[in-house]
Amino acid sequence: MAFINLQNVTYKYPLTKTPVLQNINLQINEGEFVAVIGPNGAGKSTLCYTLAGFVPHFFKGEISGTVEVAGMESSKSTLDEWVLNVGLAFQNPFNQISGAKYTVFEEIAFGLENTGVPRDEMKTRVEEALKLTDISNLADRSPYSLSGGQQQRVALTSILVMQPKLLVLDEPTSQMDPIGTREVFGVIRKMAEDGMTVVMVEHKVEWIANFADRVIALKDGQILLEGKPSEVLTSDVLAENGFGISRYTSTAREAKKQGLWKKENLPVTLDEAVEGFSNW
Amino acid sequence: MHERLSFYIKRNSVIHHLNPLTKLTLVLALILIAFTSPWYWTPHLLVLIAIIPLSFLGKVAPEFFKTALRLILPAAGFLFLMQAFFQPVGETVIFKFYFLDMTQESLMFAFRNATRVIVMVSAFTFLLLTTHPSELMSDLTRRGLPGQFAYVIISTLQILPQMQAKAQTIISAQRSRGLDTESSFIRRMGSLTPLIGPLVFGSLAEVEERAIAIEARGFTSKKVKTSLHEIPDPSSDKLIRWVLIILVIISIALKLWLS
Ligand SMILES: Nc1ncnc2c1ncn2[C@@H]1O[C@H](COP(=O)(O)OP(=O)(O)OP(=O)(O)O)[C@@H](O)[C@H]1O
Ligand SMILES: [Mg+2]
Repeated sequence: MAFINLQNVTYKYPLTKTPVLQNINLQINEGEFVAVIGPNGAGKSTLCYTLAGFVPHFFKGEISGTVEVAGMESSKSTLDEWVLNVGLAFQNPFNQISGAKYTVFEEIAFGLENTGVPRDEMKTRVEEALKLTDISNLADRSPYSLSGGQQQRVALTSILVMQPKLLVLDEPTSQMDPIGTREVFGVIRKMAEDGMTVVMVEHKVEWIANFADRVIALKDGQILLEGKPSEVLTSDVLAENGFGISRYTSTAREAKKQGLWKKENLPVTLDEAVEGFSNW
Repeated sequence: MHERLSFYIKRNSVIHHLNPLTKLTLVLALILIAFTSPWYWTPHLLVLIAIIPLSFLGKVAPEFFKTALRLILPAAGFLFLMQAFFQPVGETVIFKFYFLDMTQESLMFAFRNATRVIVMVSAFTFLLLTTHPSELMSDLTRRGLPGQFAYVIISTLQILPQMQAKAQTIISAQRSRGLDTESSFIRRMGSLTPLIGPLVFGSLAEVEERAIAIEARGFTSKKVKTSLHEIPDPSSDKLIRWVLIILVIISIALKLWLS
């Protein structure tokens, strides 16, 4: 059975009139790196909250269908059990700082303290996590004194250190520069190869094309398209539905109309575009 | 960007090595004794022979005196004047200011009360200067203080400077759009109202996100919590605490016995 299994999931927040997620069916295998894209209000964050257990346990509202992750079923579990297996990091890094800790090192240890990890193990795990995301140099700084991008790395590290089976990330690189983004994608790719399952909401399609195994395109609470990045990200359907698409894809699409793009598939990344344009 | 968001100053001193609970007990004992001791000069003596020497022992004397001058003395001075003039006790008028009388009795009364307040505030200042807030909280949580309670206290301590910084940012942003923050008080109060929205409602929406974030890190996990920092509690600390408790009991007993 799939590691993540969503069957006919429909969900409505207490205050919304129409469902925010509609009839979502989704199976994800262990160790898969899945990217979620979609326009504003598509329900991406809501999907993240659902996978992380906060829908419905924190937000309440009406949910139907079944949500299963790592052998647990949402309706039969409590949130504190759920978070032991599923890690969630989201967009605004400032609000993810616990506010109870004075250094980055302590901040990252917070989740381990809460879940009762013994002190020696805690220290080694925090040190390893700091190295993994390359922020060992920030260990003694106050989390509040960091830049947005650095805070996002701290937020990500604070979750990675807990070694969740499923990592749910909602726009985790929104405040990072290209170098930071590349590093974070690299780290996440590696985690996936080591067996962690990753679901990540991201707008930077070129990075998705390079790193993700699968893309889910969400619109109005429904899955519009799903499949390999090279197929989904170049699909005409995306362009017609107001999704952010790569400029290389749109350029090549225009070029194709003029007969200047000879290949069957459209490019997503610069490399693919260069390759396609130079070999005809 | 200033890094220091707490009063705590990391130094290597005897005081810094005391268990946080011992320091908290010390502070509470000083305050209780200052307020209950039947002897008039106790609060004054406590400042001179306990609090000031302790700030030297803790190697935080410069910071301690700075806070005292800027914060504690002005507040205590104000309290002193108010009480000296408005306390309707005593006959021996020694000073007249229009219709206000200052009597010898009210002066004595005000002097003691102001000093009591000095003891209270400076003892807490001493505690904050020498004690890492998260250590105090983890120690108290380990001893059974509910985690949520500790979290509220400590995050408030941390978040207040944040709110202040944010208010400053909002003010700057509004001022650059022509908000008047420099004319008369009333006009300023009027023009500051647009700031309340972003500050308060921003904070409420943030509270929800923060709740999710700490929940995602197992904050309400039913597992027994551990702590990163080891907080030693040697028997010498326990002894100090018992001595302090006994002193407080003596002070209260004397008070009851003499009255
Ligand atoms: N707490 C909430 N209560 C009520 N409605 C909500 C809540 N959070 C989100 N919604 C609504 O649910 C819908 C989907 O929101 P969601 O945040 O999941 O979208 P999103 O795809 O993450 O958008 P964005 O790209 O802006 O992050 C929106 O219409 C939004 O207004
Ligand atoms: Mg979102």
